Amino acid sequence: MKGDRKYIFMFLFPSALFLTVFLYYPFFKSFYLSFYRTKGFFDKKFVGWDNFERLFTDKLLGAATLHTLELMLYVLLFQVGIALVLAVLIEGISRFKDFYRTVFFFPVVISGTAISLLFVLFYNYNFGLLNNILANFGIEKIFWLDEGNALKAVAIPTVWHYVGFYFILFLTAMSKIPADYYEAARLEGIGAIKRTTMLTIPLIMSDIKVVITLAITGTLKVFEFVWVITSGQNGSEVLGTYMYKKAMVDQNFGYGSAIAIYMVIFGVLLALLANRLLKRDEITY
Amino acid sequence: MMLLSLLLLFSMILAACGDNKSGSNSSAADGNAGKNAANTQQDDKNKDAAPVKLRVFSTFGGTDSAREAFQQAIDEFTASHPNVTIENDTMSANDDGFRTKVNTDMNSGNEPDLLFYFIGADAEGFVNADKVVPLNDLLDADPEWKNGFIPSALDFAKQPDGNIYAAPLTGFYEGLFVNKKIFEENGLELPTDWDKLTAAVKTLSAKGIIPLSVPFDQSHYLIEYSILSAAGPEGQSKGLKDGIDPNWEKAYAAMKELYDLGAFPKDAATIDLNMSGNYFSEGLAAMTIEGSWAIGGWTDETKDNATVIPFPTVPGGLGSGNNVVGGFGSGFYLPKSVYNDAAKKDSVVALLKHLTSPAIIQKIATANGGTPAADVEISGLAQVAMDGFAMAANSDSISSPVDSKVAPETFNDLRASVQQVVTGKKTPTEAIESAKKVEDANK
Repeated sequence: MKGDRKYIFMFLFPSALFLTVFLYYPFFKSFYLSFYRTKGFFDKKFVGWDNFERLFTDKLLGAATLHTLELMLYVLLFQVGIALVLAVLIEGISRFKDFYRTVFFFPVVISGTAISLLFVLFYNYNFGLLNNILANFGIEKIFWLDEGNALKAVAIPTVWHYVGFYFILFLTAMSKIPADYYEAARLEGIGAIKRTTMLTIPLIMSDIKVVITLAITGTLKVFEFVWVITSGQNGSEVLGTYMYKKAMVDQNFGYGSAIAIYMVIFGVLLALLANRLLKRDEITY
Repeated sequence: MMLLSLLLLFSMILAACGDNKSGSNSSAADGNAGKNAANTQQDDKNKDAAPVKLRVFSTFGGTDSAREAFQQAIDEFTASHPNVTIENDTMSANDDGFRTKVNTDMNSGNEPDLLFYFIGADAEGFVNADKVVPLNDLLDADPEWKNGFIPSALDFAKQPDGNIYAAPLTGFYEGLFVNKKIFEENGLELPTDWDKLTAAVKTLSAKGIIPLSVPFDQSHYLIEYSILSAAGPEGQSKGLKDGIDPNWEKAYAAMKELYDLGAFPKDAATIDLNMSGNYFSEGLAAMTIEGSWAIGGWTDETKDNATVIPFPTVPGGLGSGNNVVGGFGSGFYLPKSVYNDAAKKDSVVALLKHLTSPAIIQKIATANGGTPAADVEISGLAQVAMDGFAMAANSDSISSPVDSKVAPETFNDLRASVQQVVTGKKTPTEAIESAKKVEDANK
C-alpha cells in the first residue's frame, strides 16, 4: 500500500495541474482584479475596496440577486419536483421504461443556446408560435417577455432543459433500493402513494440532497437562456448575465471580477444553508 | 491480485522509461531538423526569397459578405509572392467575443502579423500600449499607396494622438432607412424634417404599421443619431468627459415624443436588432435606423423599395438635419512585433499595401456595400446603397458614432436609459446625468 502512494499522487497530479491552471489561477486572478478599476485590457488602476463597496450600493445587482433567487425557487419546485414525480411514475411501470427514460433525458443533450433560440421564436410578439395560436382562437396577442412575464418565460426552458438529468439521478437512486422492501410493503397492504412517501422518498433522501445542491449551484450559473431570450431585459437579469455585461460588454473587468467573487460566496453560503436545512442521518441498506 | 498489480506497475515503469527515451530521441531529432531548416532557409535567402508565414486576423469570415473577396485578395498576393504563406484567421464581428480575442492576443504577446480591427476608442488600449506601428512614415514614403486613399478616409483613421495606425478599407454610414412603397401607399412625404416624421408616425401607427422599427436594448443607432442631431457635430464629439452638454437630453426627450406617438414596435422592449431588422425587411415596418452593413441582409423587395436619409433634427437640436453618422471605423494595423522582425517585415508591408490598394478596396466595397476608402467607382449595388453613398457625399458633416466618444460602460448606461425614459420612469435629464456619473467613475 505504501508503495502505491507515489503512483496515486502521480495519477492525481495531471488533474490537479489542470484544475490549478484553469480554475484556481483564474479564480485568484479574478480576486486580484477585483481590486482594480480596469479600462479595456491595457490600463488598470488600484482602487482598493471600491468595487466591493459598489456591490452593496448597486441596485441592479440587488435586483439580479433577487431574480436569481426567484429562478432558483422555480428550479427547486419544478425541476426537482417534476423530475421526482417522473422518476416515481417510471419506477412503477414495467414496460417502455427505456423509451421514457430516453425521451425525458433527451433535452439535456441539446445545447441551451439552441433551446433558447427555439423559445425566442415561440415568444415573439408579431410572429411567434404562441401568439399565432392565440390569434387563431381570436384572443388578443400577449407580450410574453414584458416586465411581468420575462423571468417566468425564461424559467420555463431553464427548468425543462435539465429535468431529465435529475430524473436519471433519481431513477438510479431508486434502482438501488432492495426489492424486498417493496415486497414487504406489498404484503402489509400499503398503497402506491404511501409507498412513495414513506418508503421511496426517505430511502433516496441523500440523493435528493445532492440534487438540491446541484440545482442551487446550477441556477447561479444560468446564463445562455437569459442572454438569448431576453438579454436581461424587463426584470430578467440574473447574476450570470449581469457579471458578463459588466466584464465583457462594459469592459469593466474589475467590477465584473468583484461580482464573480460575490457569486462564489453567495453560492457557497446557499449550498451550506441547504445542507444544514436538509441535515438527516444517512440511511444505509 | 498482487501479481496483477505488480505486472501493471512494471508495465508502467517500462512505459515511462520508453517514453523518456523516445522523448529525448525525438527532441534531438527535432533540434537537428531545426538546424537543417535554418540552414536551408539561409541557403534559400541567397538564391530566392525565404519562406515567410504570416497570420492575418480579420472579421472577413463566417457570414461576412466580403469573405470571398478578401480570400481572393489574399490568394492574389500569395500567387505573386510564392514564398509567403498566409493564415487567414477570422472571427465573426457580431458579438463581443471578437474584441476579447483581439485584445487578449495583443496583450499576451500573441499578436497577429496583420490585424483588421476598429479605429478609435476600441483600439486605444493597444495603441497607447505601443503595440502597433504608426503608418505615417510608411505612407509618406510611398506616395502611390498614400494617394490611393481618399484624404477624408485617412483623417478618420487618426487616433487622438494625430497618428494614423490603421489603413482603412471600407467605411460605413448609418441612416434612417425608409420603405418608400409604404410611404407612397399612405400618401406620406419622406421624413426629411421632424414635423414630417411625426406626421408619418401618427398616420402609420393609426393604420397598424410599425412606423420606426428599433429595439430599446440594442438601441445603438437610435441613440447615436438622436444625440448627433440634438447636440450637433461639435457637442456630440465632446463626449461627457468635461461636463454635460444640455443639448444631449433633447435626444431623449425626442425619443419619448416618438414613443408617445406610437413610433416604435409594440414589443420594442423585448426584441433585439436582428428582430427589428426583420420587421423592416419583411415590410412590417416603414422605417428603421441602421448601418450600411444591414442592407445586405434584407429581402430584395425591401432593398428595391428602400432609400436612406439622415435622421431629422430633433426639436431644439443643434444639428443641421444633414449630419451623418459614419466614418471609416476599421482598418489594418501593423503590430510592432512583426515590424521589428527582419524576416517578415518586407513581406508584411507588401501585403498591407496590396490589401489596401484601390483595386482591392473596390472589390471589398462592392462585396459589402461599405463606402470605399479609395476613389473608385462601385457598381452593381442596390439603389438604396447608392442612395447611401450619395447621402454621405452630400452631407454637411460625417461624425463617428457617439459610442466611440464615451467609455463602453457609459454607452451601455445610455442604452439602458432608453426604455426607462420613454416609459416615463426616468427624465431625459436623469438619463444623461446617470451616464455622466458612469463616465466619471471610469476616468
